[in-house]
Amino acid sequence: MIGRHPLFHKKRRREPPVSSNMETGRSRLLIAGAIFSAAFIVVTGRLIGVTMFVEKSQPQYSRSSSKAILNISRANIVDRHGNLLATNLKTSSLYANPRIILDAREATKKLTSVLPSLDRHSIYQKLTQDRPFTWIKRHLTPRQKYEINMLGIPGLDFQTEERRVYLNAALASHILGHTDIDNKGLAGIERHMDTFLRKNKEPLELSIDIRIQHILRKELGSAISEFKGIGGAGIVMNVRSGEVIGIVSLPDFDPNIPANIEANTLFNRATLGVYEMGSTFKIFTTAMALDTDRISIRDRYDATHPIRISRFIIRDYHAQKRWLSIPEIFMYSSNIGSAKMALDVGIARQRAFLQKIGILHPSPVEISEIGLPLIPSRWREINAMTISYGHGLSISPMQLVSGVAAMVNGGVYHAPTFLKKSVKTNEKGRRVITKRTSHQVRRLLRLVVTSGTGRKAAAEGYIVGGKTGTAERVVGKKYKKKALISSFIGAFPMNAPQYAVFAMIEEPSGTKKTHGFATGGWVAAPVIGKVIKRIAPLLGIPAVDEKTAKIERQLAIDLIPKKKGKSRLASF
Amino acid sequence: MIQRATSFWMFLAIAAGIGLFILKYEVKSMEGKLAKIHEKTLNNLEATHVLKAEWSYLNQPSQLEDFGRRLLNLQPVEASQTIPIETIPLRPIQKSSEGTHPPAADQVPPQFAKIRREQ
Repeated sequence: MIGRHPLFHKKRRREPPVSSNMETGRSRLLIAGAIFSAAFIVVTGRLIGVTMFVEKSQPQYSRSSSKAILNISRANIVDRHGNLLATNLKTSSLYANPRIILDAREATKKLTSVLPSLDRHSIYQKLTQDRPFTWIKRHLTPRQKYEINMLGIPGLDFQTEERRVYLNAALASHILGHTDIDNKGLAGIERHMDTFLRKNKEPLELSIDIRIQHILRKELGSAISEFKGIGGAGIVMNVRSGEVIGIVSLPDFDPNIPANIEANTLFNRATLGVYEMGSTFKIFTTAMALDTDRISIRDRYDATHPIRISRFIIRDYHAQKRWLSIPEIFMYSSNIGSAKMALDVGIARQRAFLQKIGILHPSPVEISEIGLPLIPSRWREINAMTISYGHGLSISPMQLVSGVAAMVNGGVYHAPTFLKKSVKTNEKGRRVITKRTSHQVRRLLRLVVTSGTGRKAAAEGYIVGGKTGTAERVVGKKYKKKALISSFIGAFPMNAPQYAVFAMIEEPSGTKKTHGFATGGWVAAPVIGKVIKRIAPLLGIPAVDEKTAKIERQLAIDLIPKKKGKSRLASF
Repeated sequence: MIQRATSFWMFLAIAAGIGLFILKYEVKSMEGKLAKIHEKTLNNLEATHVLKAEWSYLNQPSQLEDFGRRLLNLQPVEASQTIPIETIPLRPIQKSSEGTHPPAADQVPPQFAKIRREQ
């Protein structure tokens, strides 16, 4: 209809070819214009984006090139008061490009004149290789670097590297461990916390106090040399938090020179070594017995005769040959009484109790050298009896100390740790015995120091309590006579214990001064006394008058409790 | 009219160019300064780091103990050398006819005497 309208017909007819070309031109221009303006808009947008907004993928050349941050590839390790224990220092290492070396013979001669420790032959071989890189010597001193520069040999160059430095040398060697030449942790904290130390910039704070560590190491070392022992271990632990304040294993090594470390000094006696601990285990046996409803401090046991069971005989070292009260069993360290006590409690309960206080598991401390406790595969009557006085079950000193800490601190087990706990983390721990039992154990431990085998551990004013332990060393399948492991586990101040102190000396021999004795009471107990005397002021524990009525009342115990309970007859 | 506009734009372009040129060089020199400061800071940080390490090395407890014994004639503290703070008696109150009065100036430690003078 519309198409037929005369007006349209007229128009169509009038269209000249020129105007149609104009139309095409105009529309092409429009399209081109649109494309160009779109392109310009994109360019403008990009320009604004690049100049005004920062993209993440964009590298920041100008900033990254100069930033005042000290980059060290491994975090420092500090003690609980912030003293540096291990840090990385920059050193120069010498390398060569043998392809540029002009005269290898001459260069070798010059190099060995400055660095006499180098082997002439191997250096010559290195310098004549056909490769662009070879290490000559790593970690040079500034003087050596200067002298090599003065030689002016083309083809030699330095690479800045970092070297792990242990500022206290051997003082905390077993806990810190050491690293290899590429700063990879090989032992101790360095190995256990390797990824942490690589990733973190902040220093790693240990629970160790180097002053305490030093005192412990020195006193233990002088006891070992006095009694000609082959080694020893010592631990100071905060019983209320589980933090280890000092831990020593002797002999030790200087971690600064990993190449010179002798294999036998690497052995960590405090955490990796497992030993039959002897009488110190009676603390656990007695606490376990007193914590049951059936056995009380007033009970007595018959220790008149040695116990014969299968082919073993259980004897007392300080035999009294009569009925003994529980405090007496503890004080005279009666094996017979302890064995009977353990049987009274029962095999299953004994095992469960030791499990609870961490004796049957490896210690959870943060180093890689941790010993597996040696536990009897079948827990029979004879095992229960020998374990009651610390034989037939081997544990590391670290396990013993954390177990005893739970016995004296009011009955709460804290996992031992080498890392500083911040004040805010108020971990509850795990209750293992009642408060009442813990109080009784404290009295018993105090009794050993005031009138038992541990008198030499006393440190006037600091109310020390503890227990001696002497065990014969197992070599192969037999006990080696005269090869003793003499130890003492103590805690102070006994009216409200804060720290546990342990010392162990391996294979000591008696001296004239000790009348030939090399037992825990003669060898290890004096170490505890000396250590506590020196560390207590540093730990902020005031000396008190031990003879005040209040303290005596807190720790008094009747050797033969007056209110006589029923006498116990053991099952055999 | 057109010429005037053109010359205005040209002037503006040249001015902007010169301004940019000056700004660029200023920024460059400031960046250089910053880099130098950073380098110095880094050097100082490194030096402090080495000094801290040296300080720890020189403060080894064994060395301090040796110095204390040898040069200062010091020994570890004995329990008998300490007393609890509660046992230290308070200074007795001096009584006179006017009642209590503070001690005379020559009886007061110098640091306290100064405070009194200021009052």
